[in-house]
Amino acid sequence: MAGGGDVAAPREHKGKGKKRRKGRRLGTRIDMTPLVDVAFLLLTFFMFTTSMSRPQTMEINLPPDANVKVEVAESNLLTLRVNDKGEIFYSFGIESPKKIDQKDIRAFLRDKASTNPKLIVLLKVDRMGKYNMLVDMIDELNQDGVTRFSIAPLLDADKAMIAKVS
Amino acid sequence: MPKFKPHRAGVRIDMTPLVDVAFLLLTFFMLTTQFKPDEYVEVTLPASHADFKLPESNVMTICIAEKATPIGNDSTHIWMGLDSQILRQRIFSNYASMYGPTYYIKPTLYPVKKSELGNYVLQARMANPKMITVIKGDRNADYGYAEDVMDVLQKTQVTRFSLVTELAAPGQPAQ
Repeated sequence: MAGGGDVAAPREHKGKGKKRRKGRRLGTRIDMTPLVDVAFLLLTFFMFTTSMSRPQTMEINLPPDANVKVEVAESNLLTLRVNDKGEIFYSFGIESPKKIDQKDIRAFLRDKASTNPKLIVLLKVDRMGKYNMLVDMIDELNQDGVTRFSIAPLLDADKAMIAKVS
Repeated sequence: MPKFKPHRAGVRIDMTPLVDVAFLLLTFFMLTTQFKPDEYVEVTLPASHADFKLPESNVMTICIAEKATPIGNDSTHIWMGLDSQILRQRIFSNYASMYGPTYYIKPTLYPVKKSELGNYVLQARMANPKMITVIKGDRNADYGYAEDVMDVLQKTQVTRFSLVTELAAPGQPAQ
């Protein structure tokens, strides 16, 4: 960088300079401030747009084959059912579902995940529900330390079970 | 009011190096920026706390829109896009002849029927095995369409995929 100044410096009068009559130089000092202003404005604009444009993603793994049966102990299986209104119902094993409030779900899941490390959550969302519900539930599971969960369709039998409770 | 003016020493800062650096950075950021491609589908992303960034290349995007789009005699909520322009044009090369002149203008996302999605996913995977599948669903889209997409992905042996979300503020419920 230090050497740059030498290169950019005007040459001493050699060659051409000899022939040309040394005219009175006008003081050409360009005020660079507006240039710098614009440069920095653009710079900040590009800096902000680059760093902000990457969206987040949430990774999900599905089992390779839907027909493979995995044996899970009944006590380790927690089924979370979400109906089309966004109401959440939980049930362990094959017991009948109970309704749980949206704001209580975090404490509930944290408690279950810490007491039973082998917990597996089966997440069933109604087809008529919103996509947002699924993302919210997965996000909640991820945050509460439930590492093993799977997604399954909410069948008519599930709907009937929920309808009985609500 | 008389004012005492001290003699100002001429302080002229040579701004040239500053400008040099500024323009260097400017060109760097200008060249590295990738502008968002024109959105053909409006998708409002759901929020989450996941902090895994979306990869830049080898991405296959499956969009789930809130509103249906007509395609042929049918309509669909599912759109598919690939980040590689060459591959995209190769896979969807039959669209212009099948669905009319709108597809002569090459879009970045193509509406895809549910029944044909598996076929296109397979073609894309075959052309580039490193392809990462990403589902970009609208937060208000019906979950049923997402279920269909996940079903198709499972059938085509895409067992690892990501859901694109926006970052929710830490500590806040993702709502």
